[in-house]
Amino acid sequence: MSSSALNKKFDRIRAQEEAGLLKTSTGNRALRKMMSNRLAMVGLIIFSIILLSSIFAPLLTSHDPQKIDLRSMLNSPSWDHIFGTDRTGRDVFARILYGGRVSILVGLGSALLSAVIGVGIGCYTGYRGGWIDVVALRVSEIFMSFPQIILVLLLVSIVGQSLINLIIIFVLSGWGSMYRLSRARMLSLREEEYVQALQSFGVSTVKICYKHILPNALGPIMVNVTLTTAMFILAEAGLSFLGLGVPLSIPTWGNILNVAQDLRVLQNNWWMWLPVGLVISLFVLSVNFIGDGLRDSTDSTLQG
Amino acid sequence: MLTFILRRLLITIPMLLVISFLIYLGLELTPGDAVSYMINPELANQITAEQLDQMREALGLNKSFLERYSIWLFHVLQGDFGHSLSGGVAISTIVLDRLPATLELSIFALLFSTLIGCFFGTISALRRGSATDSTLTVVGMLGVSIPEFFFGLVALLVFALNLGWLPVGGRLLPEYDSYWDHLPNIILPGVVLSLMMTAGVMRYSRSAMLDSLSREFIRTARSKGLPEWRINLIHGFRVALTPVVVLIGFRLPTLIGGSVIIETVFQWPGVGNEFILAVRGSDYPLVMMIALFSVFAMLMASLIVDILTALIDPRVRLG
Repeated sequence: MSSSALNKKFDRIRAQEEAGLLKTSTGNRALRKMMSNRLAMVGLIIFSIILLSSIFAPLLTSHDPQKIDLRSMLNSPSWDHIFGTDRTGRDVFARILYGGRVSILVGLGSALLSAVIGVGIGCYTGYRGGWIDVVALRVSEIFMSFPQIILVLLLVSIVGQSLINLIIIFVLSGWGSMYRLSRARMLSLREEEYVQALQSFGVSTVKICYKHILPNALGPIMVNVTLTTAMFILAEAGLSFLGLGVPLSIPTWGNILNVAQDLRVLQNNWWMWLPVGLVISLFVLSVNFIGDGLRDSTDSTLQG
Repeated sequence: MLTFILRRLLITIPMLLVISFLIYLGLELTPGDAVSYMINPELANQITAEQLDQMREALGLNKSFLERYSIWLFHVLQGDFGHSLSGGVAISTIVLDRLPATLELSIFALLFSTLIGCFFGTISALRRGSATDSTLTVVGMLGVSIPEFFFGLVALLVFALNLGWLPVGGRLLPEYDSYWDHLPNIILPGVVLSLMMTAGVMRYSRSAMLDSLSREFIRTARSKGLPEWRINLIHGFRVALTPVVVLIGFRLPTLIGGSVIIETVFQWPGVGNEFILAVRGSDYPLVMMIALFSVFAMLMASLIVDILTALIDPRVRLG
């Protein structure tokens, strides 16, 4: 670009500034970067649609997800039953909406709890170092040396199936990676100068780690929370599909898919399993898009 | 190199000991002990508490916890894993019976996903920013988002039930004459199991390749006037390979875990399928031993991955 063209460009920018057209940069830079990521925005929209329609399920359907109606068994989709009915005449659309509540609760709830526990331990022990750090590291290694689904199934077989048990089991199997991540961030952040300054002021250890250092490690932690949510939703679906997750009496996405184990249902009653499978895939896809967008906007080293 | 391997073994062995201890603890805490399974339920009320104690003593069940653990560990090291609760079959026999099927499936998925993943990942990196690149990125994202069993069900419906090209499930059926007859059986579960892993390898090899292409030795190679394919393959790809090997190691748990569900969908008679049956039937000894076995496999896999990375990248073993 020639220098006169450049001058013109700057003049134009200055004129806009003087006219007050350009906003001074308010808001978070990471947030703005995220907003300009098209895939992340698509993800956010799909995520919100599915989340909101689960929360406001009663407004979208008049059917009760648990109501057995033997006069309308195995109906194919119609105006009254958008996704048809299952073998006991329950409305599949209503079951997907209400099931979303439980599935999202399990996925998001377990991911957030894992983050609270993992980050809580990782920040403190990573900052303190010494024996407490070694103990925490070894314990996390024990949990992480199991393949995740094996650990989950092992615990299911010991403590039995229930909604609360499943969340606890997910947290037990998921805190390790959060702990590792926050500990690793802590090890590098604790060497920064502002930490030394805080220490010399005599600020307490707990306050330094959680109030001053933790906010600087939040980016990767948030990315990990979204990716873990996606993982747990898939895990719940897989376990319930096998009949080993949430008890079958509670509708969840995985439990609705459970009927597809029967090859006759698979072949003849597509409406009983295809829509819910697509909803799970879309939801997990949207969460992954959001996670990817978050990663791109918070991690300045990642370009490409 | 030898010191590196020794140092790595020194971490792995205590880890295995601790986990075997936890597994033993689990075995002790779950209901029932060896004696209660040896007694015929119809005769249970004819047996006195004293007789039960005698039997326990004969079996060494009244010794202290640590003694019992060391005896158990000794047996395990000799290959005696105890017996399954249903049918009383030796667990080692069950695992050895089922292992070839699982290994077959895992190796198929590992090879397939690595080849496809590296290929598309490299293409994606070389055409960075193009339509091919963004399409592959979205496809990769889909690959990690669709539940694999759902993908498996759709594949089963289309290719086995509707088109009838491939068998619905199973592995070695009685009518097969030779070992290779079951090749069509492995295609569906193998490809489905590869799907999730392919996506991961693709994303990872893309970023590893981008990273290595931006290094200075690539500029040097280019300034020497080397042909482009040589720069990409010999100089770029080899350096990008290290993180990909690490990733494949990290993906092993996904592979072992994934095969648990996929084996059930396709009735593939592997260890994962057996594990699900054991969990459903509360067959605790079998559940615990398969878990212990999978941990052993994982730790060995990560040991091998570490040694491989050390071989490829000298900085690891020297650092």
